[in-house]
Amino acid sequence: MKTSKILAWIAIAIGLIYFFVPLIGTFEFSLRMRRGEYSLDAYQSVFSDMQFRETFGFSMLMALFTIIFGMLLVVPTAYWVRLRLPQMRPVVEFITLMPLVIPAIVIVFGYLRLYNSSSWLPFTGSTQGTNALLVLSYITLSLPYMYRSVDTAMRAIDVRTLTEAAEILGAKWPTIMFRCIFPNVMSGVLSGAFITFAIVMGEFTMAALLNRPAFGPYLQLVGANKAYEPSALAIIAFAVTWLSMGLIQLVSRFSKLAPSRP
Amino acid sequence: MSFLVLENIKKSFGQVQVVKDFNMAIEKGEFVSFLGPSGCGKTTVLRMIAGFEAPSDGTVVINGKNQNRLKTNQRNIGMVFQAYALFPNMNVFDNVAFGLKVAGKPKSEIETRVKEMLELIHLEHLADRYPYQLSGGQQQRVALARALAPKPQVLLLDEPLSALDAKIRVSLREEIRQIQSRLGITTVFVTHDQEEALSISDRIVVMNAGRADQIGTPSEIYNRPATRFVASFVGTLNIIEAAVVDPAANTIKVGENVVKLREPVGALKGGDKLSIALRPEAGSLSDNAKGDTSLTGKVTSSHFLGSVIRTKIDVGGNQISFDMFNAPDAVMPQAGETVTLRFNASDFLIVRE
Repeated sequence: MKTSKILAWIAIAIGLIYFFVPLIGTFEFSLRMRRGEYSLDAYQSVFSDMQFRETFGFSMLMALFTIIFGMLLVVPTAYWVRLRLPQMRPVVEFITLMPLVIPAIVIVFGYLRLYNSSSWLPFTGSTQGTNALLVLSYITLSLPYMYRSVDTAMRAIDVRTLTEAAEILGAKWPTIMFRCIFPNVMSGVLSGAFITFAIVMGEFTMAALLNRPAFGPYLQLVGANKAYEPSALAIIAFAVTWLSMGLIQLVSRFSKLAPSRP
Repeated sequence: MSFLVLENIKKSFGQVQVVKDFNMAIEKGEFVSFLGPSGCGKTTVLRMIAGFEAPSDGTVVINGKNQNRLKTNQRNIGMVFQAYALFPNMNVFDNVAFGLKVAGKPKSEIETRVKEMLELIHLEHLADRYPYQLSGGQQQRVALARALAPKPQVLLLDEPLSALDAKIRVSLREEIRQIQSRLGITTVFVTHDQEEALSISDRIVVMNAGRADQIGTPSEIYNRPATRFVASFVGTLNIIEAAVVDPAANTIKVGENVVKLREPVGALKGGDKLSIALRPEAGSLSDNAKGDTSLTGKVTSSHFLGSVIRTKIDVGGNQISFDMFNAPDAVMPQAGETVTLRFNASDFLIVRE
């Protein structure tokens, strides 16, 4: 075997050890709640905790809203930029990348300053308003991933010609959007949706500072007060993320909507 | 009045004028091809008929109705695109049915019409297939059926054969022409392929730099090109530089050969330069060939191309390409040999700019 190949395998092995040893350690520790034997007591404790169910459910609901409203914002934007405003692409790309550059804590302080209960748009004046603000902040956070996944899916189909083909057959904008474009970028929409789901489920800063009962702050709370449950929660959080990533792979692999190309 | 009329159409993108005063009248049921090189404005004219582009000036009239204020989806036009543009999420049946569903036709009518269209393109057995399961030729036939299903008043074909391989291209263009003739639908076909345009059109518009250089039947375009551009773009014409000898007698000089033209040289004087065109297939090298005139020159090369033997002859510095059919007794001229090309004076065309 060539030296370069051996070095490559060593590098991969180091990477795998670096990634998996802490995870295996965490998993092993999460099974040690009962003295002297392995058990799933920590998981049982977590799943039977009312607060776990509430925060997990709340975050899932927030993730669902984030995906729906995020896609309603992102798909038409990406479509419009591709079709009519290609010169605006750099600007839109820059805007969608901003959340990666600006720390979440800065964004949330900005929100609190702009939308506090004594402002002209008092989002934080009510629970529903704060929840709406949380969804909006999650949309901001997931914008770089959502936009890119949808834009990549649109690149795979000839958006302009499909639009023109639909238009000349008599279709109006809602028909073009929901029957010709949306179904053909579904793989991108779903990829964006799963990654958004993973981000929202683990997000801490926004939810904590807006004082909402989300899964992220719950993870922190349990971590500060209990011994074995935080390890079980870490494994559950990983499982959720991996499940989302697996679904992204599945969607892109089994997508039969291959573009019609010469 | 003609069915489709384009009156004084102009189109500018910023400072660039891509279509300059384009006029054309197309009769009902006619098959007209827009032929020209890339960037000549042919697709832009087609897109203005479709309503994808608004003319900067001029009007598009279909069946007596000004289309300028109508949106694309209000014009009832069918269009086939170069890139097929089938909806990837719909099967063949749904693709063909799309226009009918959008128009709100009853389900039974949609089913009947789609079946009828699929029979027309001989793909009724592939109704459940998705576009990615079809070959390029099949996809383009589905696109044609989809365009025809809502019974459009005009059919536009935007280089529909360009993405297909040579064999399919020939069979599909014959099929398109057959379907068009059967349905009697007014059709505008955009292509940069002269063979395609010559083989299926009732009339051809040769476009150059945003203008129609010549509008005529395939035979007129090929045999009587109106401009140097048409002559050079359609077929492979020899452009020969000559000098007027006697304007009154219509004689010109090519190298050492003095030739009498059928066409008057016009206002040119003796000694003036002029360009004349000669088709490669005009004339013969045989000694007993008919023809009232001849050119003598030296063979520079000779190539066997299967059905044709192509010979290059140097006549007074002009390289004349000459094609003769391959026959069992055909003798291939050899390089360096002096030959006499016999033809009729009417084969010569004076090339005007």
